[in-house]
Amino acid sequence: MKNKTTRFLIASLIGVAVLCVFVFSFLAVFMGWRSLDTITQVGTIYMTGMNERITMHFATTIEYRLSHVENMISAAPPGSAGSLTLREALVEGAGARGLSYLALCSTDGSFEMLCGNPVQITDPEPFLDSLNRGEQKVAVGSDTVTGEKLVLLGVSTSYPMSDGGECTALVAGLPVDYFKSILALDKEDSLVYSHVIRKDGSFVIRSGDAYRDSYFDRIRSIFQGLKHQNDSGQVVQELAAAMEQNADYSTVLNLDSERRHLYCTKLPYSEWYLVTVLPYGELDKTVRSLSHQWLLLALAGCSVILMALLMVFGKYFGLTRRQLRAVEEAKQAADEARYAAEEAQEKAEQAQREAEHANRAKSEFLSNMSHDIRTPMNAIVGMTAIATANIDNPKQVQHCLKKITLSSKHLLGLINDVLDMSKIESGKMTLNIDQVSLREVVDGIVNIAQPQLKAKNQHFDVSIHDISTENVCCDSVRLNQVLLNLISNAIKFTPEEGHIHISLYEEDSPKGDEFVRIHIQVRDTGIGMSEEFKSHIFDSFAREDSARVHRTEGTGLGMAITKFIVVDAMGGSIQVESERGKGTEFLVTLDLERAEVVEEDMILPSWNMLVVDDDRELCESTVKALQSIGVNAEWSLDGSRAMEMVLRRHRRRDDYQIILLDWKLPDMDGISIARRIRQELGVAVPILLISAYDWGEIEHDAREAGISGFISKPLFKSTLFNSLRAFMSPEDPQEEAHPEESLHHLEGRHILLAEDNELNWEIASELLSAEGLELEWAENGQICVEKFQTSPAGFYDAILMDLRMPVMSGYEATQAIRSLDRPDSQIPIIAMTADAFAEDIKRSLEFGMNAHIAKPIDVREVLRLLEKYIG
Amino acid sequence: MTLQECYAAMGGSYDEVIGRLRSERLVQKFVLKFLADGSYQLLCSSMESQDYPEAFRAAHTIKGMCQNLSFTVLGRSSSTLAEALRNGYTPEADPLLEQVKADYASTAQAIQTFQAEMEA
Repeated sequence: MKNKTTRFLIASLIGVAVLCVFVFSFLAVFMGWRSLDTITQVGTIYMTGMNERITMHFATTIEYRLSHVENMISAAPPGSAGSLTLREALVEGAGARGLSYLALCSTDGSFEMLCGNPVQITDPEPFLDSLNRGEQKVAVGSDTVTGEKLVLLGVSTSYPMSDGGECTALVAGLPVDYFKSILALDKEDSLVYSHVIRKDGSFVIRSGDAYRDSYFDRIRSIFQGLKHQNDSGQVVQELAAAMEQNADYSTVLNLDSERRHLYCTKLPYSEWYLVTVLPYGELDKTVRSLSHQWLLLALAGCSVILMALLMVFGKYFGLTRRQLRAVEEAKQAADEARYAAEEAQEKAEQAQREAEHANRAKSEFLSNMSHDIRTPMNAIVGMTAIATANIDNPKQVQHCLKKITLSSKHLLGLINDVLDMSKIESGKMTLNIDQVSLREVVDGIVNIAQPQLKAKNQHFDVSIHDISTENVCCDSVRLNQVLLNLISNAIKFTPEEGHIHISLYEEDSPKGDEFVRIHIQVRDTGIGMSEEFKSHIFDSFAREDSARVHRTEGTGLGMAITKFIVVDAMGGSIQVESERGKGTEFLVTLDLERAEVVEEDMILPSWNMLVVDDDRELCESTVKALQSIGVNAEWSLDGSRAMEMVLRRHRRRDDYQIILLDWKLPDMDGISIARRIRQELGVAVPILLISAYDWGEIEHDAREAGISGFISKPLFKSTLFNSLRAFMSPEDPQEEAHPEESLHHLEGRHILLAEDNELNWEIASELLSAEGLELEWAENGQICVEKFQTSPAGFYDAILMDLRMPVMSGYEATQAIRSLDRPDSQIPIIAMTADAFAEDIKRSLEFGMNAHIAKPIDVREVLRLLEKYIG
Repeated sequence: MTLQECYAAMGGSYDEVIGRLRSERLVQKFVLKFLADGSYQLLCSSMESQDYPEAFRAAHTIKGMCQNLSFTVLGRSSSTLAEALRNGYTPEADPLLEQVKADYASTAQAIQTFQAEMEA
């Protein structure tokens, strides 16, 4: 497409250019030729006129001279006097008329000279013939003595001749030069020159540089050695032929370097021909320069047009190319669109396949679910029937109720999972982001998992590595759900005496400084899973169906829900590593926003502490956490080395101030170490036992061995701080909160208090005024709204609102105030009520109140809330 | 009769009220004002005229005052009565009203005795 157009454009450009050059060349050549032609025509006209003039001049001169001769004859007519007298008269007349020669001519052509030297006629016959016929004639002769050329004028008459006969004519002679000058034939400054020749080409009068006898010879010699040499013969021939017919002849002689115009006419009274030659040299030069200018102009015009053409072409070419490109792009876009369409179709087909698959899976799931639901339902129905039948047997009934409870719980779990899944599938599951303490989350989960762990006698451990940010923004319920699911799976699929380990560690988040990346690892030494199942573990409605897991619990939705929460809702990732018979490891990675609230300043005295645990990571991370709250800590991995360290310090009288001991150590357990330390050091040093378990069972032994207290894993910074602060002595500097101090800025604030009961009002007024607040009483909701409305904007800082008041309740008053068109219509409103029902609290918040306090009002609580909203 | 003895006589908690109000003078002031409040009379008359919403509000107010002053016994009975009247009349309301009346009488008795002795 593109090449075709380009080819066409280029071809047409070349075609137009060639045509242009051709037309202009033709014009130039044609005009050149035309100008030459015109010059020739002009030359012809000019020469014709010239020849005519010369001819007329010649004729006039001849006639004038002939009239002289006639006059002489009429002055002395023949027979009027004697022969001698006549001759004298004639000679006298000739002298008077300037004729140097005078002779009588006999009929046979012999001359009898009256004056001048004897004369020889060059071509006597035609001359004689004419004279004998009584005509007047001119001829050329020469002085036989001097050889001077003469023009002879003959007039018929019949004077007696000396030999007794009568002459036929009186002939007078004049030098040729006279004619030459009269006719101005060889004017030096004239371009034009003329010859007079005879028919045979011989010269009568030569002019210019001609020296040959024959003009024909001259023509030939001029052409000699030139390109058009052969033309000379033709010219001579034509000239001779024209002279023979007494016709005018005009031609242009093409000499190589110049052109000459030749014009030939017959002269009257003679057998002579006048040849006039006009060299075109100057004219040609002028014409040629004109032609040159023409050519240049033509070329210039041509190039201008070509340039214009080129530009137009260029523009057009560009335009075409752009169009082509646009077309190309459009085509490409169309192609892309087609591809996209195909892709979309493919995707649609895939989606359809997936939908069909999901549908099938759902149908399967539904039938599974029906079965799963029926099983506990059957148990409940059956057990209820048994219980009814044995209503008098409390033991039996108790047993039945226990079974029913278990089945109900199972059923509830199933239904919860199904609900979650349907929420996920319909896109309705959203996160409820709040500040969450990771410590609390992990603590909570450990507490929940403890009974199950204990029941299966599994070894459980939690380790926390370098967690600097305990408080993060997250949906705690969902995070709990994820962790519980992972842990309960681990417990479920790990046999008795197996190990389950949870570890938490932190990393910088790629999402920025406000985020922190938390890794949560749940590892077990359970039955593991097959590679095949591993790839499907996160699919909805999946569960491993094998002999090993014959007794399935749960819905097969747990992992799908977990994955949805972690990956889709929280934007994290979850990975699984598993090997059959070896165990399973889940790694959850989340980027969580650091909680805005700055963590409470946790600073402990610069104690020297010892941490003893067989887990190196726990030791290191605990020591690091302790250092960050101001404690100098050392650690040991085993009991004997720990004892050495304790004793070395003891000898230096620089005892550890607090010792943290793991309960289970490789060489000796924590309790025996505690016992030995007590023996050596006495009772002064607090010894705390680290335990991930419920310490109820060992508490008695531990206390007996001198353990001062317990500290539960995971050891977060705040766990350490909260457990250890109890051992701070009163004189240790500690930052105490001084609420009274922080309240002074509430002084003078205006509080509107709506309360229908005067006594209650007085109590509140009394108590709050004592704190420096300015109180205003509104006896009911209506008055409250009015007082607020009539106050200047910003006058009241807060409203304390009783809910149950006559005329207008606190709810309505709040609603009215909130809908006022005032800048301070969003003033903090705190509800006060004697009803501590949750519905009341909820309702008060729904009506736009900021907070709620229960009656009887506690000044500290009121101040705390006021501090929060207007402090 | 001291204020503490007065509280003991009516079945209130002096410790609690002093913890909250922090001054014996204040407690005394408000205790003496308690009898001036018309809520009790309103409760009785509304119950008589079967204006139960009004009766509920009155019982509720008495409960609030008792909580404020830590009149535990009267607070408890008035609170129970208020709950019985919360959603209109219930048959329990009548015996509960009698209980409130009895508790109010003993409370009033204690306060009047205290007042009389103080003035004397």
